[in-house]
Amino acid sequence: MKNAAQRMRLTVACCAAALLFAGTPLLRAAEPTPVVLDAMSVELQRAFSQLGKQDGGKQQPPYFLSYTARDTSAVSVTAQYGAVVSSMGGRYRSADVQVRLGSPALDNTHGAHRGSAVNTVQLPVVDDRQALARSLWQATNAGYGTALDNYLRVKTEAEVRAKEEDNSPDFSQEAPQVHVEKPAPALAADRAEWEARTRAVSKVFRVFPDVYQNEVMFAAQSSTNYFASSEGSRIVTPHGAAGLVILAATRAEDGMDLFLETTFQATTTAGLPAQAELEKAARELGQRLEALRKAPVTEPFDGPAILSGRAAAVFFHEVLGHRLEGQRQRGDEEGQTFTKELGKPVLPEFLSVADDPTLEHYGSTQLSGHYTYDSEGQKAQRVDLIQNGILKTFLMSRLPIASFAQSNGHGRAQGGRMPTGRQGNLVVTSTKTVPEAELRKQLIEEAKKQGKPYGLYFEDISSGFAVTQRSSPQAFQVIPLVVWRVYVDGRPDELVRGVSIVGTPLAAMKRILVTSDKSDVFDGVCGAESGSVPVSAIAPAMLVSEMETQRQPQGTARPPILPIPGAELGTGSTSGKGVSQ
Amino acid sequence: MKTMRSIAKVVGTGLLAALLVAGGASSFAQQTRADAEKDPVLKAMLTELDRSMSQLQLAGFAKPFFIQYRIEDVDESTAQAEFGASLGTGRSRQRVALVTVRVGDAKTDSSGGRGDGAVELAALDQDPVALRSTLWQATDEAYKAALAAYAQKQAALKQVQTPPQADDFSQEKPLVSLAAALQLDAGADADRWEQRMERASGLYRGIEAEKLADGAIEYAHADFRARITTTWLVNSEGTILRKGAAVYQEAFGAGTQAADGMRLDRSYASTGTSLADLDVAAVFEKHVLDLLGSLGELRKAPLVDEEYHGPVLLSADASADTLRALLAGGVAATRPKMGTEARTNGPFASSFHAQVLPGFLDVVDDPGLKSYDGKGLLGAYDVDDEGVPAQAVKLVEAGRLEDYLIGRQPVRDFPHSNGHGRASIAAQPRPAIAVLKVAARESSTDDQLNNRLLEMAKDRGLANVYVVETLGGVHSPRLLYRVSADGKRTLVRGAELADIDQRALRSSVEAAGKDLFVANYFEDVPETVLAPALLFTDATIRRANEKNEKLPFYPPPQ
Repeated sequence: MKNAAQRMRLTVACCAAALLFAGTPLLRAAEPTPVVLDAMSVELQRAFSQLGKQDGGKQQPPYFLSYTARDTSAVSVTAQYGAVVSSMGGRYRSADVQVRLGSPALDNTHGAHRGSAVNTVQLPVVDDRQALARSLWQATNAGYGTALDNYLRVKTEAEVRAKEEDNSPDFSQEAPQVHVEKPAPALAADRAEWEARTRAVSKVFRVFPDVYQNEVMFAAQSSTNYFASSEGSRIVTPHGAAGLVILAATRAEDGMDLFLETTFQATTTAGLPAQAELEKAARELGQRLEALRKAPVTEPFDGPAILSGRAAAVFFHEVLGHRLEGQRQRGDEEGQTFTKELGKPVLPEFLSVADDPTLEHYGSTQLSGHYTYDSEGQKAQRVDLIQNGILKTFLMSRLPIASFAQSNGHGRAQGGRMPTGRQGNLVVTSTKTVPEAELRKQLIEEAKKQGKPYGLYFEDISSGFAVTQRSSPQAFQVIPLVVWRVYVDGRPDELVRGVSIVGTPLAAMKRILVTSDKSDVFDGVCGAESGSVPVSAIAPAMLVSEMETQRQPQGTARPPILPIPGAELGTGSTSGKGVSQ
Repeated sequence: MKTMRSIAKVVGTGLLAALLVAGGASSFAQQTRADAEKDPVLKAMLTELDRSMSQLQLAGFAKPFFIQYRIEDVDESTAQAEFGASLGTGRSRQRVALVTVRVGDAKTDSSGGRGDGAVELAALDQDPVALRSTLWQATDEAYKAALAAYAQKQAALKQVQTPPQADDFSQEKPLVSLAAALQLDAGADADRWEQRMERASGLYRGIEAEKLADGAIEYAHADFRARITTTWLVNSEGTILRKGAAVYQEAFGAGTQAADGMRLDRSYASTGTSLADLDVAAVFEKHVLDLLGSLGELRKAPLVDEEYHGPVLLSADASADTLRALLAGGVAATRPKMGTEARTNGPFASSFHAQVLPGFLDVVDDPGLKSYDGKGLLGAYDVDDEGVPAQAVKLVEAGRLEDYLIGRQPVRDFPHSNGHGRASIAAQPRPAIAVLKVAARESSTDDQLNNRLLEMAKDRGLANVYVVETLGGVHSPRLLYRVSADGKRTLVRGAELADIDQRALRSSVEAAGKDLFVANYFEDVPETVLAPALLFTDATIRRANEKNEKLPFYPPPQ
């Protein structure tokens, strides 16, 4: 694959010039150019050369135009209560048209107008050049009209407002990229097979009568992204993703809603675990949730804690990673937590953080956050965000900020959205490590030192973006799911429920004392302003000297009145629910 | 123990239901609960219903007096194309369960709040435990919501002096009706229709330059949709229902702009209850070509005069849209605001026995009318979505409003449902039209109507009068003709139709046509209107003055 890709890589600058100014597209590789790329390049060139030239040039021509087409074949199957409730498959093509007017210094995307520069259109799924061109023409027309309107407003606003704190340009100058890979292969996901598999995984919960709801969601897709811009970029990259999420929910007798989830991600269905492993994971989730349901409610606590590798990975992604996105350093609405911290220590010096979308694997785990070119056609790069505790840079899209003028290949977006700086694979590394067992010992010592009867072990944390039916997505938040008390007096560890982290989670990061010598991977989907993108985070378990927690606010709704149907077929475990006669 | 008790319950209810059916709705085949239980979906529903009715109670609170389960299975096949190329095909199937729980009694119950009932996705597999689990989850939620709603209603009733004018819930005879589930026609295969839609949406290609006179087709969209809905319903009164509904539709829409920027749109749909109802390919394509030609005509057409008051003839097609907009909402009886003496809501709230149409018009809503003129009617059904047999309702007789469409929510003087409780997927039922037929006792041929229109022009000294051929929205004519005194028709564009309201229906309809147009509306709740052409003595036609968008900034690709 890689060789083929390299063979098809073409020289950049001269072709870009030819594409823009010659009458016909000159790009012809040894292998035929995919029809979609070809049709959109031709139409893009036609639009770019004609827009603003009609009507005697009364209207301003765009200075930048790009088309991003996505051709996606997808299958999704959902099972609950041991049966399939939804099974879908299909193919869909769409294109985002981005029009920029004015100049890179000030254009129609300025400030709050950023999202308006993207116009989306559904494209034919067949390679019909005439229909593809007509759809793109129609969308470009609409997008150009919107751009004219927004540019006028941007100019007016620029005249009436006070000088902006960060007066960086609106668009960075970058070299065009040409990289044409073969389109993605047909999706290999047998719907009937996955209906049977999700159904069987969901059925596992039949022996857990206290798991009131369960959902097993399988999704796989094979997609090809096509990118063409007026700067001469022409990119074709294939992507594959397959994932399975197991979700289980219950309600404690006191009304507290509890849920747990397990996610498996891979680039193809073949990369997902074997059926036995999935069913085992469901069983463990069921057992854990029933235990959690009966666990004592937490009490306010301020003391030492361990974050497991997976929990630390989620924690770093949500609490640190999002705050290092370039666009968060610019604009009045943004927190700008780290804007003035460049070159300063923000973490203990034994910790470094990088984001490396070029990584395909970590050990045997496929990384969801891998990509080769970002949504703005920039080559993916490893970015060393924090080195030895010192903040070095941010995750940059083509939106410049005062401290950085260029993209570093992290402009990402879901279809229909304007790309912004996002994470890919966030990698946390440490030079001060101990084995896991030693980490636990140090937790107990630290608790003793602080005069606490126990320390906390955060085994699992939800990113707050878990797909649940009952709670809406919230970014940048962490919800502890599985937390244990580790007693100093040698009592067995005790599971507690309802733990919520208070205070500034960021502050806890500065109080990391030491880490484990092993790292764990979190693979998932991250949501923010530019939409949902697949991400990974890798981190070692960590000991924090002080973590402040309290009891989470809880509901007052009662658990179900009657037992779940089929409970009599299960283990026969009774749950003490108030069954009335 | 538990199993024994539920068997006893099954037998009990079954006998009761069978007895009631035997005594009541004799027109239906005498089906029984035992027949119903051969259907695994119904069996799971009945099992969980029995368990909930016998055991569901929160200590210290009332038990439900009524529980109803409705599951809908929607099997849909679609194919879409734009500019001659497929946008993709789809085949989807989904089952949704709606659980309704009522506490209190028929006079005053928990209904009417926003949280009536609970909805869950249901198993596509015939797995009884999974189906029951979904119903269990929704029943628990619905019961708790009903208790809260009931308490709220009791409190609200204490705030008003005037008591409710009718019970909250009507008493109806239980019914067991088990129609065979329908299957999607094998001919609705998406791949075949994908090709047909590609062809239809690409017909502009050869003729754009010639027909559109420098105009550009900005969208040309063809759409095929087939939907089979199977509904299973059981309730604690003993009603057991299985029924199916089918809708098939092929549609085309295209648009362009006039030289002044005005948007010009045309659309056409062929709709029915079987594939045989749809146009054959050649006929559909002829419609598409005519429609594309009409866009070219409209581009060249002059703007309508600034304002006109006078006679206007609505074609039967345009009348169907107009009558639906003006009558359908008002004839459906809904519960009025608490504390008022009103009978229902809307324009006909106080019109019982009053004149609402000219004396020569009658209106009946007859869900039993399954075809007309050889065409399948989308709005038809045998049993409504509350398990009540459909009835033909004579709404307007000799122009007077004599009845309303009623579901199981009674209004003053109308204590029983007339089988018009209709629901969209996963939603609570509400009274709605099914097959609304408007017909004239004395009718005129098209020629007679046109002649009468010209006579009226002459009588009033008008140089022109107008004929509305088709409507986009109720106030937006798409094909509008200015007719001169000598009968010559000129297509005009940019008009708005005004002053056609309930008052105009009552006092300004001069004559009605003989032939009824069949308008099938494929919406969440499919409806049909059969309507004649209507000649209004006085209406307003004026310039719409909508925003004219910019013309395309650059020419379309060739």
